[in-house]
Amino acid sequence: MVSMNAVLLISFLLWSVGVAGVLIRRNALVILMCVELMLNAANLNFIAFARLSGTVHGQAFALLVMGFAAAEVAVGLALVVALYRKKGNIQVDEINLLKG
Amino acid sequence: MPSFAPGLWENLSHDIHYIWPHILLMVSGLLMLWPLDTWLLPWTKAEKHKWAIPTMAILVVSLVLSIYTPNGLGFSAMYKVDGLAKGFQVLCILASIFAVMLSQKVLGALVEHTAEYYALILFATSGMLFMCGAVDLVTIYFSIELMALCIYILVAYLRQQERGIEAGMKYFLLGAFSSGIMLFGISLLFAATGGITTNLTELNQKLAVVSQDKSLLVYSGVLMVLVGLCFKVAAVPFHMWSPDVYDGAPTPITAWLATAPKAASLAVFLRVFGTGFHSISYEWEAPLMLICGASMILGNVAAIKQQSLKRLLAYSSIAHVGYMLLGVLSRDAQAGAQAVWLYMLLYLFMNTGAFAVLIYLQGKNEGERIEDFAGMGKRHPVLAFSMLVFLLSLAGIPPFIGFFGKFYIFLLAVEQGFTTLVVIALLTSAVSAFYYLEVVKQMYFKEPAEGEVEPMDSYSKFLISTACALVLVGTAFGPQLLKWTDDIRWFEKEAPAVVMEFSNK
Repeated sequence: MVSMNAVLLISFLLWSVGVAGVLIRRNALVILMCVELMLNAANLNFIAFARLSGTVHGQAFALLVMGFAAAEVAVGLALVVALYRKKGNIQVDEINLLKG
Repeated sequence: MPSFAPGLWENLSHDIHYIWPHILLMVSGLLMLWPLDTWLLPWTKAEKHKWAIPTMAILVVSLVLSIYTPNGLGFSAMYKVDGLAKGFQVLCILASIFAVMLSQKVLGALVEHTAEYYALILFATSGMLFMCGAVDLVTIYFSIELMALCIYILVAYLRQQERGIEAGMKYFLLGAFSSGIMLFGISLLFAATGGITTNLTELNQKLAVVSQDKSLLVYSGVLMVLVGLCFKVAAVPFHMWSPDVYDGAPTPITAWLATAPKAASLAVFLRVFGTGFHSISYEWEAPLMLICGASMILGNVAAIKQQSLKRLLAYSSIAHVGYMLLGVLSRDAQAGAQAVWLYMLLYLFMNTGAFAVLIYLQGKNEGERIEDFAGMGKRHPVLAFSMLVFLLSLAGIPPFIGFFGKFYIFLLAVEQGFTTLVVIALLTSAVSAFYYLEVVKQMYFKEPAEGEVEPMDSYSKFLISTACALVLVGTAFGPQLLKWTDDIRWFEKEAPAVVMEFSNK
C-alpha cells in the first residue's frame, strides 16, 4: 500500500501543473486540457481515499466527474469553434473587446 | 427490478416526491428540444418566440410544485427540502420567469428566438433548484455545474456578435478553472475525513475532530471550496469575469445572471458555511470577512467611473453580494439565512426592474450608456419614474424597499459583532448613492437629445409599471417583512439519516 501522503503529493503536483497551464498558456484548447488535468488530480484523491476507507462513495464521485468533464469539453469546444469562426484564431490574449 | 443495483429502484421511488419540480423542468426542456421543436410544433423562425408561453407555464407550475413539496431528507442524505431550499428555489424560479418575460419579442433584446434558448433556461433553473437543496458536496458540485454549463451557452447566445462569443468564452474558461479549484478542495476535504464522507452534516462533526492534526488539509480544502463559490457569486477578488460577461451577454440573460445564479449560490453558501463548516468557523471567518469587505469597497468604487449602465449594474451587483455575505458570516445561521433571503428577494425586484428599463431603451436603439439617459424624464415619464424608484431602492435610501433589506442585514451583522464591516458597508452605501443618483441626474436635469420618441407598447408598460408598483407597495410593508419570515424554519433539525450502505468487499 502506498502511503497516503504520497498520493496527496502526486495529486497536488498534478493539480499545480494544471493551474500553471491555465495561467501561462494562451491557447484556449490547451487551457481546456489543463482544466481536465485539475479535475483528474481531484479524481486521483477520490479514488485513492475511497480505496483506503473501503467505501465506494469516492469512486462513484470520480466516475461522475469524468462524465461532467466530457460535458464540459462539449460546451467548451463548441465555444472555441464559434470563436474561431468569428476571429480566425483561439488565442485568449486577443479576446479583448470587452474591458473597462 | 434488475438485480445489478439492489435497492436502487426502491430508493428512487421512495424519494422522488422531493424533486418533482426539477423533473418537470428537465423533462419539459428535453421534450421542447426534440419532438416538439422538430416534429410536433415546427414553428418557423419568425414564430419561435411563441416558445416563451409554454416555458412560462412550466416555470409557474414548478413554482407551485416547489412550494408544496413536503419537507424532508432524501437520496442517501444528499438532498434536503427545508425552509432554506424552498425559499431560495422560489427566488430562482421567479428570476427565471422574469428572464423569460424580458426576452419577449416586443422588447427586441434577442436577434433570433430559438427553442434552445428557452430549454436552456429550464435546464439551468433545474440545476439551481438542486443547488438550493443540496446537502452533500457531491450534489452541490454537480448541481452548480449543471447550472453553469447551461449559462455558458446562454451568455454566448448572440453568436453573430463578437462580443457575445467573447463573453461566453471568458465566462467558460474562468468558470471551468474555478470548478477545478473547487473540486480539488472537495477532494482534500474527502481525504481529510479519511475517505468516508462528503455529507455536510457528517463533515461538520468529522472536520472539527480532524482539523487538529490535519489542519493544512482541512484549511486548504475549505479555502478552495470558498474560492469556487466566490467565483460563482462574483465576489472580489474573483469578480474579474463579471463586468465583461454582463456586458457581452444578451441583456435579459444579464438581468437573470445578476439574480438567479446568485440566489442559488448564496443558498449553497449558507448551507455549506452554516451547516457543513460551522464547527470550524475559525478556518474561514477571516478570509470571508476580507472577501466581504473587498467586494463592498471595490464593487462600489469601480462602479463610479462606468460609462455603460450594464457595467455599472454589474459592479453594483458585486457590491450587493458583499452586503449579502455579511449574512453568511453570521454565527447564527438561522438569522443569517433569513436576512440574506429577504435581501435577495428585494434585490430581485429592484434589479430586474432596472434591467427592464435598460432592455426597453436598448430595443428602441436609445442606447445603454449613461449619457443616453439624458432628459428621459421628459421623453419617457413613466420609464424615468420607475427607474428612479428602482435606483433609489438599489441605493438603499430610506423610504424605499431596498433600505429594509440593508437595514436587517446590517443590524444582524452588528449583533454578531462585525462592526468594522458594517462601518465599511455604510460608507460604501453612501458611495453607491453617488453613482445611482448620477443616472437620476441625467434623467431629470439634462436636456433630452433631439429625435422622435416612440410611444411605449402595452406589454412593456404593463411590465415596468407592475414592477414599479410592487416595489412601491412593498415599501409600505417593509417594517413587517422580518416578522413575517420569522416563522420559516430555514434549517430543519436533522433526523438520523438512512444512508444506503455499499461496500466493496
